[in-house]
Amino acid sequence: MKLKRVLSVALASAMTLALVACGGSSDASAPAATDSAAKTETAAADNGAASGEIIDFTFFGAMPQAEINDGNEIQEIIAQKTGVRVKETWLTGQTAAEAVGTILASGEYPDLIDAGDASVQMYEADALVAWDDYLDKYPNLKEMYSEEEWNMFRQEDGKIYWANVFCNTYGDPKATGHNDEAFWVQARVLEEAGYPEIETLDEYFDLLEGYYAKHPTLDDGTAVIPYTILCEDWRYFCLENAPEFLDGYPNDGSVIVDKSSGTPTIVDYNTTPTAEMYFKKLNEEYNKGMIDPEFATQTYDEYIAKLSTGAVLGMCDQNWDFNYTIQDVFKSTGLDLQGCNYVPLGLTAEKGQENRWHTYADTLNNSSGIAVTTSCKNPDAAFKFLNDIMDQEIHDLRFWGIEGTDYLVDEEGLYYRTDEMRANCADEAYKASHMCQYSYMPQWLGTSRDGVNAMQPSEQYSEFVNGMAEPLVKVFEAYNAKGYPDLIGSVVEENGPWFPMYSYSNAMTTDTEGGVAWTKIGETKHEWLPKVVMSSNFDGTWADYMKAYDACNPQAFLDEMQVELDRRANL
Amino acid sequence: MSQETSASVKRARKKKNDEYKVKTSMAEVKRQSFLIVTSAIFLVYGFIFYYVPLGGWIMAFENYKPKTGLLHSKWVGLAKFKFLFEDATFIRVIRNTLAMGVLNLVATFFMAILFAILLNEVRTTLIKKGIQTISYMPHFLSWIIVTGILHDALSANGVVNEIIQAFGGTPIMFFSETKYFWPIVAFANVWKETGWNAIIYLAAITSIDPCLYEAASIDGAGRLSKIFHITLPSIRPTIMILLLINVGNVLNAGFEVQYLLGNDVIKSVSDTIDIYVLNWGISQSDFSLGTAAGIFKSVVSIILIVIANNMAKRAGEERLF
Repeated sequence: MKLKRVLSVALASAMTLALVACGGSSDASAPAATDSAAKTETAAADNGAASGEIIDFTFFGAMPQAEINDGNEIQEIIAQKTGVRVKETWLTGQTAAEAVGTILASGEYPDLIDAGDASVQMYEADALVAWDDYLDKYPNLKEMYSEEEWNMFRQEDGKIYWANVFCNTYGDPKATGHNDEAFWVQARVLEEAGYPEIETLDEYFDLLEGYYAKHPTLDDGTAVIPYTILCEDWRYFCLENAPEFLDGYPNDGSVIVDKSSGTPTIVDYNTTPTAEMYFKKLNEEYNKGMIDPEFATQTYDEYIAKLSTGAVLGMCDQNWDFNYTIQDVFKSTGLDLQGCNYVPLGLTAEKGQENRWHTYADTLNNSSGIAVTTSCKNPDAAFKFLNDIMDQEIHDLRFWGIEGTDYLVDEEGLYYRTDEMRANCADEAYKASHMCQYSYMPQWLGTSRDGVNAMQPSEQYSEFVNGMAEPLVKVFEAYNAKGYPDLIGSVVEENGPWFPMYSYSNAMTTDTEGGVAWTKIGETKHEWLPKVVMSSNFDGTWADYMKAYDACNPQAFLDEMQVELDRRANL
Repeated sequence: MSQETSASVKRARKKKNDEYKVKTSMAEVKRQSFLIVTSAIFLVYGFIFYYVPLGGWIMAFENYKPKTGLLHSKWVGLAKFKFLFEDATFIRVIRNTLAMGVLNLVATFFMAILFAILLNEVRTTLIKKGIQTISYMPHFLSWIIVTGILHDALSANGVVNEIIQAFGGTPIMFFSETKYFWPIVAFANVWKETGWNAIIYLAAITSIDPCLYEAASIDGAGRLSKIFHITLPSIRPTIMILLLINVGNVLNAGFEVQYLLGNDVIKSVSDTIDIYVLNWGISQSDFSLGTAAGIFKSVVSIILIVIANNMAKRAGEERLF
């Protein structure tokens, strides 16, 4: 270890020397036009590297994403402005835990990483660089969270090793979307049924059945799939956690937090009557042929491919898990005009029950985020880069693109896109060669620093309205809704200080009894829930599943969750 | 050397042996220096890559954390093994590994011999060579491709289900029902390896003296009796040696096929020891538990191969050691 460190220091200094040596001549010609470029130069000088030289970093994200091309246009512009280029690679063909485990076992890490739920394992292996020394130096990073929020990221040793980049609003919220879970249905299904109010599972499946009876195939002969369920790896929440929402609870993820008795109490949603009702309903629909026969074995890619054809009428999923991709696909294939876009519905177990599918405020998930690893030879440059890409100019480049090419600005300073620009930004090839979001790096939602625009185009209200296809507009008119949250109609209330509890269970390791139970519960549910849905004898299979579930010792898990809940509630 | 050999005989033998023994002189060493160096390379290679890693077995007896390292992690003795054998999943993966290992062994073994003998009976050289070449091609495909083909062929609207539907059947979800998985894996192994495994038997068959067949023909033996009385007995040593080697490999029933073809619904029959090691060792970062499972597998493999070897010895057949 020591030798390795000595070697890496030697190597780093040798590289720095080389950089200084060959950077000398280009010094004078380096442009210092913008504010941030000027800042870059001073910082670059601090690091001992001469300006004009671009540092290449690597990044690994433990989630599948589309990789952008080498030489991507906006990536190059950002590289010129910040002095750093990051090569991003993503999860392919493995589970997230396997990929991170392999990286850890090899001892050679990418410079930057978002290890997802395995972030704690990275920390435990001493693989991450603490943020504390850099936070005061880099104001954009510091600004991401308040002092209390930063404290939530602190690990056992009292230091911060990563920052979650999502669900973080700058200034006034601009959200028009429902970036949460819901039962989704295609706009055309609602249209054909005359825009009924859908509140329960029974009504939802009646709606799908009604449409399917009249349209068993698409125009091109593809068989329509009334309902599909994704259950691959960690994304099996599409199958397993609906009972929590159906009972009207918010997305605590792994457990229900019941506040009715005054003291918040952990409740297991896997064994509630609603859970049994929900799976019984799915089983009934499966045996009617309403559910995709291949749902249990499909991969995420296959699932997205199915949705892309427009053949799937409905499913339960998180918006971010499919909709960014699918909306773009529908736009470029014209399926949006046929009403294929998905509309979220806030279903509950009983008619007229309150629902909490939508999360109004920011959600702080402290269990994962962007981190700098000990393999990074120049952590200061890495933190500086994370800071720089939050500068408004670069933030706009990342999410809006290049002014004049990807968006225009009207007299009031409002950004807008023409139809052609919108089509471009929905096009996979264009995105790969032109757009560079650095999507898992620090970013803002909410209002831009100019006070006019949204940080991200998906939240720009004018874009939201103008970019919407006709069938969706009709849905919004029919239900008298301004944005997606109105369609869901969730109760507006502030979540407790413990929210979300999944940020604790996600970070559990098998070192504790509860952690082992949590792992086994996951394995058992992965195996049994599809079986329950596909069973020809629901009651028998459900009983077998409950037996297997009890064998995992769920109480150990629930007890540890209760301890954490008490701790958080008393913060 | 047997126990009852008397001391004097021993001495006499030793003397005799000594006379034949090559004298280790510097000149001899120098003369063989090239051979010594080349064989030393393999010794060193074997030592570094097969014996040094065994030091990692220590992990199985401690609660290994990358942070504290091999030397400073907490010693837990047999706790990890205790966890293993109390874990119903581990017992299940042992069953799966053994079942698929035996199934694969039997299926590929018989198919290869059968195929070699049948191919040997083909008289036209061109056809024989053609079949041989085509049949061993799949060996060169990687498992990811083979499983990809299988996955497509057996999917809900794959070719197999289309045929079933054409004959009026209902489509079968091959990968969501536990009963199909083991046969599918055995079939995949047979499809991929039969042609390749048959090469060794074919080579053994070619070395059989043609006179034997001629003599048998003159005595009025037909094709079948020639196969049973000449071909099979002649390749028996080859069959035994390959069987021995394969028995040692039974627990290596596979990782790739099961990993690539399996899914959550059928993992109760598809997970093997190797996948279990991956799940706990890499995904859960419990290197200790993964190592413990790996040790268990190695020990069982060694026991299996010793038993098989002894049985071969008893039966007076070829053996490994």
